[in-house]
Amino acid sequence: MVMKTGDGFQAKELPQDLKATLPQVYVDDMLVTLKYFIDEEKSHLWIKDHDVCARCQHKPCLYFCPVGVYTLGQDGKIQVAYQSCVECGSCRVACPYHNIGWILPRGGFGVAYKFG
Amino acid sequence: MSDNEQIRFDAVVVGAGMAGSAAAIVLGKAGLNVALIERGQKAGSKNYFGGALYTHALKEVLPDFMDRKPPFERPVTEAGFWFLSRDGGLMKATIEGGKLAETELPDAYITMRAAFDAWWAKQAQEAGAFLIPKTTVVDFIRDEQGQVIGVQTDRPQGDIYAPVVIICEGVNNLLTQKLGLARRDVEPAHAALAFKQVISLPMETINARFGLPDDAHGLAVSVLGDVSLGLPGMGFVYTNKKSISVGLGVMLDTLAEYRLRPYDVLQRYLQHPAIAPLVEGGQLLEYGAHLIPEGGWRDMPQLYAGGVMVAGDAAAMVNALHWEGTNMAMIAGKLAAETAIEAHKRGDFSAASLARYRDKLQDRFILQDLKQYRNFARFLETHPQFMDVYPNFLNSALADFFSAYGKPKKVLFREIFGELTHRRPLLKAVGDMISMGKAVMGW
Repeated sequence: MVMKTGDGFQAKELPQDLKATLPQVYVDDMLVTLKYFIDEEKSHLWIKDHDVCARCQHKPCLYFCPVGVYTLGQDGKIQVAYQSCVECGSCRVACPYHNIGWILPRGGFGVAYKFG
Repeated sequence: MSDNEQIRFDAVVVGAGMAGSAAAIVLGKAGLNVALIERGQKAGSKNYFGGALYTHALKEVLPDFMDRKPPFERPVTEAGFWFLSRDGGLMKATIEGGKLAETELPDAYITMRAAFDAWWAKQAQEAGAFLIPKTTVVDFIRDEQGQVIGVQTDRPQGDIYAPVVIICEGVNNLLTQKLGLARRDVEPAHAALAFKQVISLPMETINARFGLPDDAHGLAVSVLGDVSLGLPGMGFVYTNKKSISVGLGVMLDTLAEYRLRPYDVLQRYLQHPAIAPLVEGGQLLEYGAHLIPEGGWRDMPQLYAGGVMVAGDAAAMVNALHWEGTNMAMIAGKLAAETAIEAHKRGDFSAASLARYRDKLQDRFILQDLKQYRNFARFLETHPQFMDVYPNFLNSALADFFSAYGKPKKVLFREIFGELTHRRPLLKAVGDMISMGKAVMGW
């Protein structure tokens, strides 16, 4: 089986009582524990085409990214806080439209796990 | 740049993780000039797991590794499964003693990758490898026939030539894809996103809470059931010396389709009535996340081509059910290195020459196990009840078994049996067991 992509992407819902058991965590409480060497000159992540995001009904990247890189701006556009990225690759492969550009940060930059 | 100014090595290894440094150790010991290229600030900066390392693989790559004082946390002296139920119950199925009481060389050590991988790369350096950190490989150099003859890095004048390149780039195998060895990118339905908190606690507190006599004893468990909201996923707990690692992996397509925030799911797990007392009062040291390629055999790229071989996560060498991956990576790295050494003796780095790498993997547990488990990834997708119905049933059945309700046991057993058939019709349950047997045995 493969995940359905494009307009065929299928959002699913947990039963309401189960969903209610999920706490809401402030992602910054996680991020403060991480060490980064931030490349101030170049983002290694980018949205290929914002029109595609506008068409994307469910915008799962706003949720599944483990460090909350993707947020919705006031203009309705997806914003990319590449500085928080832990380079897991999830967004590149699970964006239903494969609309996220993803390369490795330049050598020495990006996340630097202290424990791993 | 003229020919004699070219930077040349006998071999290039891309990535100083479990596979890469293992390859570099073996190549270095054989007297080959090897460059070990790592994109992190240091080896280990980018690497992540649960986790525990198996000593059989370490010993095979570096027989005297214990004398070299690896930065281990604790040996695994208790291992097994915990089943969390939705009503707050915890059933433990763990083993201690027996094989796990082996003190001369324990089967596995709980480890943290930042420290371990730095040490592992240092062993490669001591074997003669040249470690090049803070350097990202961006492409290959190829000859007119398309054979790989080196790598391009993101450093100025960063081309490095070598007749053989071993790719140990990890799960995001973009270089392997660039060569066409992997035909597709990682499939979300075949990858688990694992995320974890390392939580600081005093050593004595850890020992007391987990029933460990001292820090020469450690616990490693897989956690099933309520941990992943009944969705395809699995949790884990590892005791480090002065911290514990608690996390879980959930299939990436599931996280995307249900639009779950990983850190919310993890927090819910940490708040489970059976888990919360274990982490209470602890300080969060580090949160992190990493993808695990669980597609195995069916997602495995072509493992070699002219001048190049692929090892470790980049080649989907993971046996998810048994939490194996690092051991396969280390041994695959070693086998790739041995193949490169033989190729140097023959002076032949063609695909036909490097095909020996696949034969070597086939002779070992690596390709044999991956082939046997080739259907397992899909088994959990199609049998989610193993994540939900059965763990909950086992918990309530056991709770019933050991409760005195003041009623005849015959009635009680009928109720327990009824509980199962209520949750899952008996024929379906039997079918599930057969399906699982088939998925594990590879029939």
